[in-house]
Amino acid sequence: MRKIVLLTIVAVTSAVIFSPLAFSARKTIIKIGINAPLTGDIPKVGECTKYAAMLWLEDIKRAGGLKVGNKNYEVELVIEDNESKAESAVKANTKMITQDDVLAIIGPQASKQAVPAGGVANKYKTVMISPWSTNPDTTLDRPFVFRGCFLDPFQGQVMANFITDEFGFTTAAVLYDVASDYPRGLAQVFKKIWEKKHGPDSIVAYESFTTKDTDFSSQLTKIVRSGAQVLFTPQYYNEVPLIVKQAKELGWKAPIAGSDSWGSPETVKLCGKDCYGLYFSSHYAAAGAKGATKTFIDRYKKAYDYIPDDVAALTWDALHLVQQAIQDTGKITGRIGKDRIAVRDALAQIKNFSGITGKMTFTQEGDPIKCAVIVKIDNKGEYGFYKSICP
Amino acid sequence: MELLQYILQNLINAAERGSFYAVISIGYSMVYGVLMLFNFAHGDIFMVGAYIGFGIATLFIGIFAGLLPAPLIFLATVVTTMFLVSWVGVFVEVAGYRPLRNAPRASAAITGLMIGIIFETGVLILLGATRLSFPPLMKSVTYHVGGIYITNVKAMIIIISLLLMVALHAFIQKTKWGMAMRAMSYDFLAVPLMGVSINTIAPLTFAMGAGLASVAGILYGQAYPILDPYMGVIIGWKAFVAAILGGRGSIKGAAFAGYLLGFIEIFVATIFPSTLRDLIAYSIILIILSFKPRGFFGMEHSTKLRL
Amino acid sequence: MELIKKFKHLFSNISLLGWLIGTLAAVVIEYYWGYDYISYYLGLPKIPVLFGTLIMLKNPIMIPSALAYDIIVYLIPILLTAGVSCNFANFLAGLFEKLPLGLSVLIHLIFFYAILHLWAGINDYRILIIKLTLISIILTVSVNVINGYQGEFSCSHPGFMALGAYTSSIITLVLFVNDKIFGTPLLPESIGPWLFPFALLGGGIAAAIGSLLVAIPSFRTRGDYLAIISLAFMFIIKSAVENLHIIGGARGMGGHPDYAPLPIIFAWTMLCIWVVHNFVTSIFGKALNTVRDDEAASEAMTIKTRKTKVTAFMFGAFWAGIAGGLFAHVLAYINPSMFSINRLAEILAMVYFGGLNSIVGSIVGAVSINVLGEALRPLELFKWIIIPLILIFVMIFRPYGLISFKEIDAKRLLRAKNKNNQGIKDKRGV
Repeated sequence: MRKIVLLTIVAVTSAVIFSPLAFSARKTIIKIGINAPLTGDIPKVGECTKYAAMLWLEDIKRAGGLKVGNKNYEVELVIEDNESKAESAVKANTKMITQDDVLAIIGPQASKQAVPAGGVANKYKTVMISPWSTNPDTTLDRPFVFRGCFLDPFQGQVMANFITDEFGFTTAAVLYDVASDYPRGLAQVFKKIWEKKHGPDSIVAYESFTTKDTDFSSQLTKIVRSGAQVLFTPQYYNEVPLIVKQAKELGWKAPIAGSDSWGSPETVKLCGKDCYGLYFSSHYAAAGAKGATKTFIDRYKKAYDYIPDDVAALTWDALHLVQQAIQDTGKITGRIGKDRIAVRDALAQIKNFSGITGKMTFTQEGDPIKCAVIVKIDNKGEYGFYKSICP
Repeated sequence: MELLQYILQNLINAAERGSFYAVISIGYSMVYGVLMLFNFAHGDIFMVGAYIGFGIATLFIGIFAGLLPAPLIFLATVVTTMFLVSWVGVFVEVAGYRPLRNAPRASAAITGLMIGIIFETGVLILLGATRLSFPPLMKSVTYHVGGIYITNVKAMIIIISLLLMVALHAFIQKTKWGMAMRAMSYDFLAVPLMGVSINTIAPLTFAMGAGLASVAGILYGQAYPILDPYMGVIIGWKAFVAAILGGRGSIKGAAFAGYLLGFIEIFVATIFPSTLRDLIAYSIILIILSFKPRGFFGMEHSTKLRL
Repeated sequence: MELIKKFKHLFSNISLLGWLIGTLAAVVIEYYWGYDYISYYLGLPKIPVLFGTLIMLKNPIMIPSALAYDIIVYLIPILLTAGVSCNFANFLAGLFEKLPLGLSVLIHLIFFYAILHLWAGINDYRILIIKLTLISIILTVSVNVINGYQGEFSCSHPGFMALGAYTSSIITLVLFVNDKIFGTPLLPESIGPWLFPFALLGGGIAAAIGSLLVAIPSFRTRGDYLAIISLAFMFIIKSAVENLHIIGGARGMGGHPDYAPLPIIFAWTMLCIWVVHNFVTSIFGKALNTVRDDEAASEAMTIKTRKTKVTAFMFGAFWAGIAGGLFAHVLAYINPSMFSINRLAEILAMVYFGGLNSIVGSIVGAVSINVLGEALRPLELFKWIIIPLILIFVMIFRPYGLISFKEIDAKRLLRAKNKNNQGIKDKRGV
């Protein structure tokens, strides 16, 4: 008995003594949560998010912390993997908010995680900016949830107008992933707007497949046969090269257009020459960028050896938005609940924030008003600026 | 005329898709026949095969491009990859399935599933999140014959798959090893008593299944040149469906069911709205199975199934 | 070894109630002094949420602090209180022994819930983990009925979950919530929580009816055809939901009211365990086991094998539906891709890890996989190497799962541990 008591006492005291942090007071640290899909369907998106955030943190560290009011605060990133799953995104958000006491959250990127995770953030009154989620439901009726990009309805309209004005086409085909939230939503919007413009039945083929499919031959055969003048396919970077390649092999010769999900540098890397000369709408164009945008691209390329995509750029902007909002609050009280509300109010007040993906001001709903860029993949496979379309 | 072209075009599409299902599901079926196990790691062995094939192909193209004719490089890639990936199959058998020989079958299936997850994550850790693009082993040429588009790659995939299946069939039917495998699937309790060790036949079966999967991986890389660590999951489960649909342990059945699955998927998407593809395709399979509960070429088996 | 033996002996006469009292003391200490004093003096930023595992893996410098916290807050109070209150607890347990077993179990459960509630009350992240773990327990137990007690290999549980989740969500959204899909509620919102059980039952019944689609064609013969029929069923359900635009399709469905707080989920889980326990220990459950072990013989013993199998299958599907309904209301959002292959792999892992043919095994499996999944979170990708490896080793060394073919004997577990008996035993041992 005595031995056991002795042993416990020794264990506890040694643990306390050797713990380097014992008896040190708690510091107020500004924590920013990153909710990113590091594993699962779109690991590249997660990687870009993480890298952009790490670059941002580097800047803050170099400046000796984040200056709010007259005081410099240490900043820490809490990066959580949401495995590209909705329930995991909810868990990650709950953990970051209630356990890590983050001041604001960046992410999740894809709508299918951002919609449920936004509910959590709003419930706990914590600012969340989803840089890339284009589904209107993400921010709808949620004062604490913001986004860094334009919405599906706007993007659908931009593409429908652009194709009509640029080429004068009247019939179009759509190929999308029925099991994925984002392509499905955008395809629907595009179809609605196109049919409004060119009359019913002007979408001559409206075909779909399921996530992780790699063979689109029967759908594309149908599309080729329908005689459409253009193919619109709002798919992710891992599907676009396959779609383009298979379409060409099945005799498709007309243009193919896409949306911001094409924006990853991987699209062209995987697709090669097949994708040259195609158009898509995006948030920024990497090739020929100027000013702050170029600085960011160069730094990112130097650090991680590839050109950042729109996800990285939007995450970067979202982080700077949060940074500015925190600085605008004037002071950090250390009471996390109060600080979060202050950050939210400051964020909603920001006007004409000039980010690397354009100027933005938030609407009542927390959606930014910003311009879309039409990108043309040029003959060197770079994403060249073609046109800017503003709401 | 135009309708005929349309149907022919889709037949070619279906034959290509079906080839993959067939070749992969044969691997499933062989293991299932010999050991009565679901090898849930098979889809991921296919993925590993595609990645190893990628490595070998890049290496060989780098060294031999210009020195050797393209078909020879292709052949060398296939043979080397098959050899390497066979060892992956043997490894899976020895590490994951052999210790569980007397365990319930389902436990072994779970082990397979877990080995699959380790493969996926391992590839993700080793190679990062960037997807890889499989280098083309032959220059793709599109032929336009009578309103039908066909590429030489597509034709090659269909022909190589058929050749592989014929070769495998010959192996199973004509050689001693093949006979041992057939005997094992007939009765795996009695055959070891006849001096055929299950510890030789099982790794052989796994090695052959993995070798087939690796060829499928290379061909897949030619047809859909994007490699991703999770690419084996869905195709693996679908091949699993085909393997059982074909009938227990029947190579012929697995090949037939693989092609059938390809045809069903392609033609359902052609005839019906493509959004309903999975719904209708799997309903058809459900109906087929309710009428042919042993699959197409399944034999009657009265041996009591283990848990 | 000697030390361990002594240690064991020291605590050998503490009844379950004693341990519960000890844990309660620990949790109370954490609740009142955990944040302000103990974790503060140890230099921890907050109360370590999962016994410090997260903080230890993320920041190895914290390991001594986190360990010290665990010892001070959990280990010492539990052992001390349990030891001190030993006689009292045994006296109480002796009193409870005289009560009917059901009542005694209920008292213990209430006690256990109180501990859980206090422990979770520290932090909402803990609540979420416990909620999802409890739902996993329902799910795992229900799969065990089919894959363990019935001895089949069914892959359709994500499909049943989806049926339950969507049905119950539609019921609550139509009846009680002003939703943008279904419009104004049909019934006043205030009675929603009271009628929520009926929504869940609706989900369960929908899943049970859906299971007939699998059960009828597949139970005509014995074999592995259930595996792919059920797999096909899963694909069909997912595709069907994706095509139903009215319930959101791939976009999913959200805005569920918060009808599933911790006590409700706890109650449902306990109900599930109780009902399933009764089911598998009844004559019917025994019949199910004989059908698994020898179908022909059981037919000869006048068991209607087909009816038995179909009923058990529907029963399992019913509880999967309930779990789906709870899951939907915890997350307040569902979409069809939640109920796909990944979920299947997770469910199968929990069942076979925990152990076949055992309810305790299922509970152990669900809890360990869930807690491991959260505790190893800081490892990011490597988590998905370590968890599979653990599972493989469990399968190799315990092929039927950690705890299989074993049931708890509630009476034995809850009884008072008499000191005199213990003494006699020990003397003999020495």
